[in-house]
Amino acid sequence: MHRNLPQNKEALLKSYTTRLKEDVKSMLENFEEIIRLAKGERGENESQLNRMTQIEQDTFEMQVRAANIVRAGESLMKLVSDIKQYLILNDFPSVNDAITQNSKLFRTKQQECDQKLMSLRDDIAADLYDLEDEYFTSIYK
Amino acid sequence: MANSVNISIEAPIENQIQEITYDGQEIYQAPLSMSENLARLAQKIDFSKSEDEYCNIKKEGESSSDPKPDDDSKDAGYQSNQWPWESVRNKLRNALTEVCVLADVLNIAKEKRYMVLDPVQPEQADNRPMVQVYGRKKALGAAAAVLLAGVERLRASETMRVSRNMPDFHIDLLRLRQNWRLKKVSNTIVGDLSYRTAGSKFSQTGVFEVTKAPEEQMMAAMSMNAAGPAPSALRVTVPPELQGVAFISVLCQKEQEDVVTATLSSSALNCPGTLPGDGAELHWQQKLEAAQNVLFCKELFARLAAEAVQLDASIPHMVVGNQIMATVLPGIQLLIGLCHNNGQNNTNNGPEGVKPEGAAGKSDHDHVLEHSLHQLLRAVHHANTHYPFPHPATGPLGPSKRRCLAGPMAADRYELLEMSKEQSLLEQIIQQAQHFFMRRRSEYVLDTIAKEVKDPLIVSHWNALNSPTQSCVKINIMAYGYDVVCRTSLVVHVGEKTLKCICRDGKVRHLSYELQELRDLIYCQIYQHQMTAVQAVGRCMGWQLLASSAHLGSGPVEPLGNASSCLLASPNGDRMIAIRCEPSVGIQVFIAQSPRKDFFSSELVQDKKWENLGGAFKEIKLDKMEGKNFLNKMELLMACLSSPS
Repeated sequence: MHRNLPQNKEALLKSYTTRLKEDVKSMLENFEEIIRLAKGERGENESQLNRMTQIEQDTFEMQVRAANIVRAGESLMKLVSDIKQYLILNDFPSVNDAITQNSKLFRTKQQECDQKLMSLRDDIAADLYDLEDEYFTSIYK
Repeated sequence: MANSVNISIEAPIENQIQEITYDGQEIYQAPLSMSENLARLAQKIDFSKSEDEYCNIKKEGESSSDPKPDDDSKDAGYQSNQWPWESVRNKLRNALTEVCVLADVLNIAKEKRYMVLDPVQPEQADNRPMVQVYGRKKALGAAAAVLLAGVERLRASETMRVSRNMPDFHIDLLRLRQNWRLKKVSNTIVGDLSYRTAGSKFSQTGVFEVTKAPEEQMMAAMSMNAAGPAPSALRVTVPPELQGVAFISVLCQKEQEDVVTATLSSSALNCPGTLPGDGAELHWQQKLEAAQNVLFCKELFARLAAEAVQLDASIPHMVVGNQIMATVLPGIQLLIGLCHNNGQNNTNNGPEGVKPEGAAGKSDHDHVLEHSLHQLLRAVHHANTHYPFPHPATGPLGPSKRRCLAGPMAADRYELLEMSKEQSLLEQIIQQAQHFFMRRRSEYVLDTIAKEVKDPLIVSHWNALNSPTQSCVKINIMAYGYDVVCRTSLVVHVGEKTLKCICRDGKVRHLSYELQELRDLIYCQIYQHQMTAVQAVGRCMGWQLLASSAHLGSGPVEPLGNASSCLLASPNGDRMIAIRCEPSVGIQVFIAQSPRKDFFSSELVQDKKWENLGGAFKEIKLDKMEGKNFLNKMELLMACLSSPS
C-alpha cells in the first residue's frame, strides 16, 4: 500500500493483519497444547491433584482448546468476509471502471434509441404528410 | 406300676468314631490325654497374626480348655523329645531380634548424632498406564469431536451455498457497489441514493442501509419460487419517507369545472402506483430505483412550490398541500400534484377529496408535461455540475459562458441584467402548457375550417420538427384539380401565447391566443385564394384581366376584411366576367357581353356603334351551374363564353 490512505483506513488494514496473525497463532498454540496434554509431558507428581481429577481437567482443557481452534477458524472466515467487504467498498478503480462501462453502455443505448426514434419520426412524418394530404382532400372529414 | 415303660438313657458320645464295622459296631478313638491336647492346641497358634487375634485365640483357648501357660512350659520341658515348642521358640527369638533392631534404629533416629534419616523415594507405582491412557484417549476424542463439529459447520454452510445455488452476499454487494454509492460507517453499510453527485442541491438525504438477508427468508423465498430468479442475499432498507411510489401528476383543466373538486383522478393515481409484486420483497435494484424516483419527485415538487410562491404572476399561483395551481391561459389551469403512495398504509398523500372522475375524461394526467418536468430538473442538475470553461479548477462556481463573453463584447447594464434572469422551472412548464393548448386549439380551428369549407381544399401539414414551445403548421389552400394552377400556402408558427402567420405575399401577422383571429385570417385567405385562382384560370384560358382589386371600397362594410373583385375579358373582348367576393356573402359572378343584344337606339344614344360597349352585368346563379367546384365552374363558364356564338 503505497498510496496515502487515511489514518483510520491504515489502522483498519493493520487490524486485519493482526487479526490474521492472532488467529493463526491461536490455532497453532492451542494445537500444540493439545498435543502436549496428550503426551502427558506435564509431570503429574508436581500437581497436588488426584489422578482422576487431573485426567478430568485435561479432558476439559483439551475440549476448550479444541473449541478455541474452531473459534479461530470461524474468526478467520469472518476476517475473509470483512476483507472482501472492505475491498468491495473501497476498490475505487474497479468502481470507476464499472461506472465508465455503465455510462458507455447507456450512452450507446441512448444513441441507439435516439436513432431509432429519429428514423421512426421520419417515417411517421412522411406518412403523416401523405395521410394529411389524403384526409384533407377526401370528402370524409 | 404295671403299665410303666422302661426308658433307656444313653450318654452322648464323648469320643470320635474311628470306624463303623459292617455289623454296625462303632469303634471309638481313644480320647487324647491332657498333654496331647495342649500340644495340639499350641501348634495351632499363628504368631504372625496380630496381637488381638492372638489374644482372641488365647481367650478361646482359655475358654475352651483351661490350660495354664506355666503348666505348658513345664509340660514342654517335660515333653522335650517331641520338641513341640520349637516353632514358638524360633518365632519368639526372631521377634526379640527385631525388637532389638527397632530399638537401635529408634535410638539412632532420636539421637541424630550419627545418622540422619531421610525419606526414601518409594518405588514408582507403575499403575498409571491403563487408566491414564483411557483418560487421554477420551479427552482427545472429545477434543476431536469439537473440532470436527466446527469443521462440519463450516463445510455445511459452504456446501449448502454451493449446492443450492444460494446467492452470495459479496457478489450482490459488488453489484450494488457498481451501481450505487456505498460506504461503511462503523458496522453498517450505508448507501446514498440522492442526486447530490449529479448536481442536485435538495436538502433531503437519500440514505439507505444495506444488510444481509436472513438465511431462513432466503430459503423460504427460494422454495416459494424455485423457477424464478434467485432471491438476493442483500436487503436494503430505505427510509420510510422514500418508500413506495411517487410521481408528479400534471393536469390541465378548464376553470369552469369545479376547481375545488378538480383534483387528481384516482385512475391517474393508480396507474403507476403499483409496482409488480408490491407486497413481496422487491429486488434491491427496483427498490432503490423507486426510492430514488420518490426523492426526485419530491425535489421537483419542492422546487416548483418554492418557485410558485416566489413568482409574482398576474394571477398568483396557488400552493395547497401537495398541489400547485397555475393559470396557463385565461380559463385554463395547470395543476401539478405530488402523488406519493408509500405502500405501507396504502393511503396516498395526495390531495384530499380524491374522487373518481369519470366525467373529466380530458383532465387526464399529462405524461408529456410530466416528462418535460423531469427533463427540466435534470437539465438544472446538469447545469449545476457542468460549468462552462474556463472556470477555476478549485471552485465549483464559475461565470456562465455569456457572462464570460460580456467583457469582450462590452455588454451594458441592461444586457447584464437580462443575463442574470433565469427562467424558473414553473415558468418553463407553464410555457410548455400554453404552447400545448395553443397547438391543440389551432389544430381544432384548422380542422373545423377544413370541414366547413368544402370548395377550396384546406390542407394543413404539421411539421414534425418542433420544440416544446414552438411548432409549425403549413396550410395549403387549393382547389381540387386546380392545385397546379393556383395554390395559396401560408405558414403558422404556434408559439406559447401568440401565433405568427406568414402569408403567401410575405406579410407576417401576429395573432393572439384568441383563435377567432386565426379563423378570420384563414377565411380571408380562402377568399383571396379564390380571386387569385380565378385570375390564374382566366390566364390559362386566354382571358384578359382588366382590373382587380383586393380591397373594394364599394358595397356594404364587411365584418372581416374587405370585398375584393376582378374583371376579366374574353380573348376576343366581346364578353366580360366580373367577380365580386365578400367574405360574409360569398362569391358573386356577373357576365356582360358586347355588342349588347338589347341595344336600342334612344334619343340620347342614337348611333349603332355604341352597342359595342358592354351591356349591363347579369349575375350568374353559381349553384345551378355544372362543375365540381368554383374554379371548375368558372372554367366552364369561360370556355362557354369564349366559344364563337
